[in-house]
Amino acid sequence: MSRRTLTGLFSLQVWAIAKNTFRESVRSRVFYILLAFAVSLLVFSYVLGFLAAGVIRKMVLDVGLSTISYFSALTAIFVGIGLVYQEVERKTIYNILSKPVSRTRFILGRYLGLLLVLLVNLAAMVMVLSAVLFFVEGFTPRILAAAACIYLELMVLTAVAVFFSSVASPVVSALCTAAFYVIGHTSSALPELLLPAVESPLARKGILALYHLLPDLNLLSINHLVAHDIPVAPGFYPKAVAYALLLVGLLLVASALSFERRDLV
Amino acid sequence: METAIAVRDLRKSFKGHLSIGRHPVLRGVNLTVPRGVIYGFLGPNGAGKTTTLKILTGLLFPDGGSVSLLGRPLGDPEARARLGFLPEAPYFYDYLTGQELLTFLGSLFGLHRRTLEERSRTLLSAVGLEGKGGLQLRKYSKGMLQRIGLAQALLNDPELVILDEPMSGLDPVGRREIRDLILDLKAQGKTVFFSSHILADAEAICDAVAILMAGNVVREGPLDVLLGSEVRFWDVTLRAPEGFSPPQEAAVLARQGSQVLLRVEREDALQVLLDGARAQGASIRAVAPQKFSLEDLFLSEIPKEEAP
Repeated sequence: MSRRTLTGLFSLQVWAIAKNTFRESVRSRVFYILLAFAVSLLVFSYVLGFLAAGVIRKMVLDVGLSTISYFSALTAIFVGIGLVYQEVERKTIYNILSKPVSRTRFILGRYLGLLLVLLVNLAAMVMVLSAVLFFVEGFTPRILAAAACIYLELMVLTAVAVFFSSVASPVVSALCTAAFYVIGHTSSALPELLLPAVESPLARKGILALYHLLPDLNLLSINHLVAHDIPVAPGFYPKAVAYALLLVGLLLVASALSFERRDLV
Repeated sequence: METAIAVRDLRKSFKGHLSIGRHPVLRGVNLTVPRGVIYGFLGPNGAGKTTTLKILTGLLFPDGGSVSLLGRPLGDPEARARLGFLPEAPYFYDYLTGQELLTFLGSLFGLHRRTLEERSRTLLSAVGLEGKGGLQLRKYSKGMLQRIGLAQALLNDPELVILDEPMSGLDPVGRREIRDLILDLKAQGKTVFFSSHILADAEAICDAVAILMAGNVVREGPLDVLLGSEVRFWDVTLRAPEGFSPPQEAAVLARQGSQVLLRVEREDALQVLLDGARAQGASIRAVAPQKFSLEDLFLSEIPKEEAP
């Protein structure tokens, strides 16, 4: 029988699992409900723009990018928390891991599959937002940069969801991933709020250390800058990509390690 | 003879209730499955059959012992590539069609698209699902799911096929078809290792069996050796006239009108019974020699307090 060598299987297996994950999501009603709701909100931002007379474009950009961010994050969390757990619960994983597929490849395939779903989701929402912006004559190609940054954040968030999904139930995973998201968007306030009030150098170092230990998803976002026509600082993009990849790498390695020796009862 | 599966002192336990202590499921299982045979792995529910099969297929990790599949250690991807597995009551992605499922799972073996399409078509036909490949799996009946499960287990043309309760939940026709398929696999030179608690099916097709009880293999070997070829007793059906009296050596099992069912345990007693019956004007309707069955063997291994 015609068969590829085992060493050459890696990308093929990961791609097959990713493709199946993508198919699973796009054949699920929830995906379309979330997407429809997000698109409705984007269109609604146009109405909001009129209510805030004189700043239609800014309002559409602000509400539009926030809507894209939140709904993409919601989809990532909602789908991601069941990504590994449901396969084990429904025992569909038995048909995959009894074949020459390593658990790391399985995790990677599921992760990439969801990223593909989120990419399509994001592209659809960006197209709707662009259409609304064209309508108010306020289109800017910078929304593509903002969308790319949202995608970086989604890469991290999906990796978090996959990690929790490989070790915990969907409810616990949802809570932990949501907590990560909230902490990620508020951690930058920690030094801003506390440092001015603390004088002890040791305490200041402690606050900074804590901040560096916590994830800072604001380091990946330019929504606010795009909405207010503020230029992005030089060197922002490489730093954002490096930071996102570091977090994704750590989380995927942790997921693979925790899943590698797990009994699939 | 070459060995397809060699299991030595396999042990496995799971966490107890509230994670307190460990509950042993396998207590030192030993198995030797030669290549090219149909091997039945039998035992009551909870004996540890599925746990053993899950260890063989890499879904569970043993606490101790050693396993070799097709001459390779457990977890070796080369062995996994030559293995086919049907889990118990298989569940598949119900949003996929039968054809899509086979294409997806087949691609995990690195099969080329053309080979895969050809193989899927052949397998769908072999398992009786010809023309059903375009149907979503959520519309499949239990029997059809079992068949598509068997088809996916054969995608890679495996040397060793491991089936967990393949006949479970099927109607008599479905069971018969799966049995025929298993026999076909053997005819193709494959080794089939399957778990079951349906003893009649196992006895009909197995070359060898192992009986697992509470995590231990209590009997293992070729079926003809385990069951022997000796007749244990004879059941004789007579149409007897009124006042017929059987010899002392014969036990009357049932009487219905002129029809009498008797049992004798020795060949000389059989002869006495038949001669006596003829002498008393009875007609002999049937003489059925009864050998030791797999069910007898199985029941003899169940501890007295658990036996039905």
